[in-house]
Amino acid sequence: MVREFKLPDVGEGVAEGEIVSWLVEPGEEVSEDRPVAEVETDKAVVEVPSPVDGSVQELHAEAGAVVPVGEVIVTFAVEGEDDGKAASDADVPAEGATEPETAGTANEADASGAEASGDGRATAETADAESASGGGGRVFAAPSARRLARELDVDIGSVEGSGSAGRVVDGDVRTAANGQRERRESASGTATDDRGPAAGSASGAVEEPADAAAGETSTDSADSAEASIDSAEASASASADEAASVEAADRDRTLAVPATRRVAREMDVDLNRVPATEQRNGEAFVTTEAVEGYARSQQEAQQADARAVSAAGATEAAAEGDEADAGGAATATGERAGERVPYRGIRRTIGQAMERSVYTAPHVTHHDTVDASGLVETREQLKPVAADRGISLTYMPLVMKACVAALREFPYLNSSLDEDAEEIVLRDEYNLGVAVGTDAGLIVPVVDGVDRKGLLGIASDANELIEKAWDRSILREEMQGGTFTITNFGAVGGEYATPIINYPETAILGLGAIEERPVAMNGEVVARPTLPLSLSIDHRVVDGAMAAEFANRLGEYLEEPRLLLLD
Amino acid sequence: MVVGDVTTGTDVLIIGAGPGGYVAAIRAEQLDLDVTLVEKDAYGGTCLNHGCIPSKALISAADVAYDAGHGEHMGIDADPAVDLSGMIDWKNEVVSGLTGGVEKLCKANGVNLVEGRAEFDGGNTVRVAHSGEGQGSESIEFEHAVIATGSRPVELPGLEFDGENVIDSKGALALDSVPAELVVVGAGYIGMELSTVFAKLGADVTVVEALDGALPGYEDDVARVVKSRAEEIGVDFHFGEAAQGWDESGDGLTLRTENDEGEISEFGAEKVLVAVGREPVTDTLSLDALGLEPDEKGFLVTDEYARTEVEDVFAVGDVAGEPMLAHKGSKEGQVAAEVIAGEPAALDYQAIPAAVFTDPEIGTVGLTEAEAEEEGFEPVAGQMPMRASGRALTLDEPDGFVRIVADRSSGFVLGAQVVAPEASETIAELGLAVEMGATVEDVGATIHTHPTLGEAVMEAAENAQEKAIHTLNR
Repeated sequence: MVREFKLPDVGEGVAEGEIVSWLVEPGEEVSEDRPVAEVETDKAVVEVPSPVDGSVQELHAEAGAVVPVGEVIVTFAVEGEDDGKAASDADVPAEGATEPETAGTANEADASGAEASGDGRATAETADAESASGGGGRVFAAPSARRLARELDVDIGSVEGSGSAGRVVDGDVRTAANGQRERRESASGTATDDRGPAAGSASGAVEEPADAAAGETSTDSADSAEASIDSAEASASASADEAASVEAADRDRTLAVPATRRVAREMDVDLNRVPATEQRNGEAFVTTEAVEGYARSQQEAQQADARAVSAAGATEAAAEGDEADAGGAATATGERAGERVPYRGIRRTIGQAMERSVYTAPHVTHHDTVDASGLVETREQLKPVAADRGISLTYMPLVMKACVAALREFPYLNSSLDEDAEEIVLRDEYNLGVAVGTDAGLIVPVVDGVDRKGLLGIASDANELIEKAWDRSILREEMQGGTFTITNFGAVGGEYATPIINYPETAILGLGAIEERPVAMNGEVVARPTLPLSLSIDHRVVDGAMAAEFANRLGEYLEEPRLLLLD
Repeated sequence: MVVGDVTTGTDVLIIGAGPGGYVAAIRAEQLDLDVTLVEKDAYGGTCLNHGCIPSKALISAADVAYDAGHGEHMGIDADPAVDLSGMIDWKNEVVSGLTGGVEKLCKANGVNLVEGRAEFDGGNTVRVAHSGEGQGSESIEFEHAVIATGSRPVELPGLEFDGENVIDSKGALALDSVPAELVVVGAGYIGMELSTVFAKLGADVTVVEALDGALPGYEDDVARVVKSRAEEIGVDFHFGEAAQGWDESGDGLTLRTENDEGEISEFGAEKVLVAVGREPVTDTLSLDALGLEPDEKGFLVTDEYARTEVEDVFAVGDVAGEPMLAHKGSKEGQVAAEVIAGEPAALDYQAIPAAVFTDPEIGTVGLTEAEAEEEGFEPVAGQMPMRASGRALTLDEPDGFVRIVADRSSGFVLGAQVVAPEASETIAELGLAVEMGATVEDVGATIHTHPTLGEAVMEAAENAQEKAIHTLNR
């Protein structure tokens, strides 16, 4: 008989999941508990096991599709039971549908029900509508692309085509192959990475990386109107030029299939400017994908331009009043549709967490700089010793140690506010989160009981968790129970930031880059390695003075790490 | 071991030097494998010696003779005399040029050529018996074998080939004079091609077919164009008549047929050409020694790598299943060689084009509208009648059409049916479209040379999008 298998609630109250990849194929025999799919939910990728012994009859969702909990994702043919009627998997109810929005659709297997289940789903359906109407899984791709898929060991049937009408082109196959390779390599890549956690929390940090260029410029502009106008314009033209000059080609002649030419016309793109992805007969050949990519980059450059101009314009307007530019720029950004990227999975979870934190806890960020000479020296001494024991020692474990020592004295920074009970909960554990920027987004693994561990224990636990965050094998439990968080945005660069608290914690420490900076000592300016600190606190629980005192104490430990021995 | 029996070894042993076998051999040599190619008869197989090439030579020659004699309306008045034996000599020159070329190519690539009939002899060994008394045999051990033994004409009970009165297509391509009366049994593509040839050469041709129409397997509107034209040329069709046997009568013979109602008809003829299909040659190979068994039709079952159920043994060409087409065999031979060499090759084509060299020709590739629907597509078809093609009119061959079948929502070209002059050439473009995953928009937006027959492809593609200029969009 046929057994339907619905997407189970794979997390706690998860409403939907993205099918990251199928681990089985139609026709394949599976035994009970054999994983059939990798499903990405809010913060983790989990393997969904088969509920039966049988053979896979049909996969009902494409890899990449977002499926509401409770929707049928696989049908199995099971031997020895009644034939004829489809049995649905009653023991896996859609209990996860906690959000009212999805509760209605979760149980609906038919297409019409899926409409309401969110943007991601809608996008997936539009894409379906554009590709071929059916036809037994036929893949539309040139023989060369099919051969490439065989060479790169990619199942071309699972590759999403970017060519006209969804045709699979070489680039799609390569992208799929790279995706496969990256997933395989990401684990080992970070494990051996000497930069350790520093590299980890890279792009993640707490701000939106996309806004970095223009956004930060406009923040700076508060300081000095004139300087910021210059820098805004500089960074605007820099970013715009970068996008354009790095990518734009300039040819007299470009080969492309007619459908690509039409797309170019529709997107108002000059084919001679589009970087060629391949050559045919010694001439540049441009695919639809390349045209779209180029259009996107042009648009991003334009937006960056517009943002910078409007930032500059606004400052200028405040100083002098030149509204024409600012107005023009605003229209330029306003009407463009641009690419629509689904806001879902880990990205949406991060967004929701940030929103909750920032609109719940009034943030204050305290900035300070500590002399890092002692820290640098200590790490240099310990690093070879740790290496002998097979552990890569970064600054992070030292900072974590110092934080715990300071937190012991300032327990309110290691607390959470229980609003319902109207109580501040001073935590008796020191579980430190370490923000890790992964390809998928920001993930914060938590090192438990830092106060009870030695430096090397902390280092090895942190390294392991960061690695798991990277290859997305990290468990939900390993990201829960934190009492205080550290984010090392300095690994990417920069001095100060305004980190967002990992709610319901009360404080988060941001680390700038350790670099030599001018320091006044005994009436002279000398170059010393310094570590900029950015400490955000929940002002409901902690006042600025306490934050400053905590930072002072932390600074003492960081400047003289030997003090940690006293603990 | 028989005395005088020498055992040699080879990486790849290929049995049959037709379009499947010789391509496999050359490709394998290119990939640095040691190849032995066994052929019992003639290099190039049926295709070069008794099929595609000789028949096309005679078709061309017959066209020259017929067109020259039928040009009054173009202002040409001629009555060409046909010397069939001269025509056959010319055909033989063409054939020997090509087969000699194949042999040279194989040698130049380093293929070890062995003459004889191969049989499997247990394990990874074949015994090759050289032809002729006392020529002995040799054993060859192989790492991999490729079976490319091809096919032969099917014999009808009561109408066994005798090479004199009852002939197969091979015999028809080697006659020394045009028979006054020829009865062709079978209205499939071989029967239709050869009946047209002999009608054009002046024979009085009658086609007897057991089924109820010409060119079974082709759509009605395609077959109708060819049948009507054949009737114009003078071919007489009798459908629903199953050939039973023949008797000698006077200078010639009488063919007996029976219809569904059991009524007997008789057709007088000088010769009977039986063209009722072809069957794979697997019975000469001692496949038991491999533990390999053909399916009920005699074909060897292969996978997408041209591999049989025996790991080291591949099968390509007619012996590996329908459609029995030289180019399909060549593709399989190429893939088999590459797979043996460890390349990531596979038979993953979307479609195999096919051509029938009737008047007008037929070219098909991919799916018909009905097949597309069966596959779950929602098809749309665009069509261009050759009567609206300037080139077809100037060729004085206005019969037929080009039809493109595409997926309605995406526009992907799924297949095409062309019945038109030079359809065998025109179909190549459509095969490329199907194989590349082109859309009707791509095909229609590609500028085609004027005035050519190929323009009809562009027009049909535009017609599928309801924007054709020279036809009414349906």
